[in-house]
Amino acid sequence: MIQLFLIAARNLKRSWFRTTFTVAGCAVALLAFVMLRTVLSAWNVGAEHAAQDRLGTRHKVTFIMPLPKRYIDDVRQVPGVKQATFANWFGAKIPTQPDEFFANFAVESKTYFDVYDEMIVSPEDKARWLADKKGAIVGHVLAKKMGWKIGDKVVLEGTIYPGDWEFNIDGIYKASKKSMDDSQLVFHWDYLNDALTGEQKDMIGWVSSRVTDTSRSGEISREIDRIFDERDTQTVTMSERAMNVSFMAGFSALLTALEVVSVIILGIMLLVLGNTIAMGVRERTKEYAVLRAIGFEPWHVRFFVIAEAATLGIVSGVVGVGIAYPFVNNMVGRAIEENMGGMFPYFRVEPNTALLAVAIAIALAAFASLIPSIQAGRVSVTDALRRVG
Amino acid sequence: MSTESTNERTSKPNAEAKAMQSDVPEQYRKNATPERGKAIIELSGVTKTFFRGKEPLTVLDGLSLSIEEGGFEALMGPSGSGKSTLLNLIAGLDRPTSGKAIIAGNDIGAMSDGELAKFRARHIGFIFQSYNLMPVLTARENVELPLLLTKLSSTERRKRAETALRVTGLENRMDHYPRQLSGGQEQRVAIARAIVHDPTILVCDEPTGDLDRKSADDILELLTKLNVDFKKTILMVTHDPAAADRATITRHLNKGRLE
Ligand SMILES: Nc1ncnc2c1ncn2[C@@H]1O[C@H](COP(=O)(O)OP(=O)(O)OP(=O)(O)O)[C@@H](O)[C@H]1O
Ligand SMILES: [Mg+2]
Repeated sequence: MIQLFLIAARNLKRSWFRTTFTVAGCAVALLAFVMLRTVLSAWNVGAEHAAQDRLGTRHKVTFIMPLPKRYIDDVRQVPGVKQATFANWFGAKIPTQPDEFFANFAVESKTYFDVYDEMIVSPEDKARWLADKKGAIVGHVLAKKMGWKIGDKVVLEGTIYPGDWEFNIDGIYKASKKSMDDSQLVFHWDYLNDALTGEQKDMIGWVSSRVTDTSRSGEISREIDRIFDERDTQTVTMSERAMNVSFMAGFSALLTALEVVSVIILGIMLLVLGNTIAMGVRERTKEYAVLRAIGFEPWHVRFFVIAEAATLGIVSGVVGVGIAYPFVNNMVGRAIEENMGGMFPYFRVEPNTALLAVAIAIALAAFASLIPSIQAGRVSVTDALRRVG
Repeated sequence: MSTESTNERTSKPNAEAKAMQSDVPEQYRKNATPERGKAIIELSGVTKTFFRGKEPLTVLDGLSLSIEEGGFEALMGPSGSGKSTLLNLIAGLDRPTSGKAIIAGNDIGAMSDGELAKFRARHIGFIFQSYNLMPVLTARENVELPLLLTKLSSTERRKRAETALRVTGLENRMDHYPRQLSGGQEQRVAIARAIVHDPTILVCDEPTGDLDRKSADDILELLTKLNVDFKKTILMVTHDPAAADRATITRHLNKGRLE
């Protein structure tokens, strides 16, 4: 059995050219498949890893509209709320690189890193930051990309809050969860607020709170919103997970399209494999007839064909994933995490995706060989032997 | 109806053959003493009809034939006379349309496909005109092929394949691939493959058809040795009178009948 498998595998060496092209074709298809799957899984990372015990409270109409700062105190009073913090979307850009997008927030200094405890900052960095009114803490990916080091002075150009804003890089954070973007810049809300006047003053973008009991997060969300029901500004509170899910629901058509495309890619792969296998079987008809004459039975011949195909699948799968892994993780993934970190904070091939791709390659090859193998098993020995001398 | 033309044996006298016995490897001693006069191939009233569409084509027409154990017979006849068809029946690759074919005690017409496959694996060694070796396998691996159907260990398989190759004079070519061998050498590998499992009968369909005179003579010499020393029953289809001369008996087939 094993011998038969090994012999079948060696048939692939026969037409190097064809084998190489088939493997290359399948590898490219698998690369595309792995990338699409990674997009889908990266998309889901947000929902899967989103904290369920963290609630976001924002303006009922849209998150662009701010809330009065005193709302934070009300939220802190709600039973079941453990900690709460707030932040404003700052939306500033680097004057020399206006196309570089990165998230930047004005945050409540004392509490922000308690609520967002997946942003890991060393105690020294944090202490330095708390003592520095113009201090900012940046994600390590952003820092690396911009070449910022601790102690650097950085000037950002405000869009929502016009003017040039000067910051000192006081610390660097690193996310401990895949769902956290490593390219943010956060600074003291007080620094922003002190510079504002009129309507913009003492307003916050949203409140983030942590609850003691995850199972009650829906209940607590409604409780928070009820407090503000009678006020001028009403709110919507949702767990981070729920927010992500509803955000993604808006893209469901796109995601379905990606799923369909990934299935189409597999279909193309099936055809490529099927073609190669069918060609090989046709050429080897006489050899199968000789095997049969020697006393091998039709199932041996079928096994022989499927074994050859499976080997082709294994080689294609390993090569495809072997290319996809470094390509996605070191090239595409890096670029996406640096440039689209807000949407895809974690763009890497999941081990499961890689395993799935190899398994699919083998399964498709075996499936593609099914009909050729049945045909090979049915070959009339006498006819096949007569055909040539 | 059938006339048998007996040729002078080109082999050694019996006594000398006995002395050779010790040279015959252990694995080929099963048939050491063939029962002379006992028919190992017995056909009676065998008919084979093919259909081309609705058109019936009777290739073998009520043919009767008996070949004794340890015989070396040649089968000649014009192209299309049904030689290969007859050989295929005897080898258990096909069943007669009517009549009886008893080969090594097995009624070919009454056996299932699976039984025929096992019959071939046990009793038949094939030698084809075009060698039909697996190009991806070395000589040794090609020869081992029939043994994959047995329960022999891999070392035993290897040993037997090497012995068979030694018998056919290829001890220096065991790790060569078919494309690295001459036609005559390829045919020797094919013969080694045909004898490695120690079959009862060797069927050869124009075994020298693709070879030059010298290589053909070598192959015929080898077949004679297998017949005389190894006591193999050999049935050989050939167009070559020189090849037929090596056989003890030459039969002529014409339009489906032996003459
Ligand atoms: N499976 C088949 N279906 C239809 N016709 C067949 C089949 N096998 C053989 N024939 C026909 O039977 C006849 C005898 O064929 P066979 O191959 O036995 O001849 P042969 O004596 O071996 O000839 P050659 O010397 O050319 O090899 C031919 O006319 C051939 O076309
Ligand atoms: Mg023929």
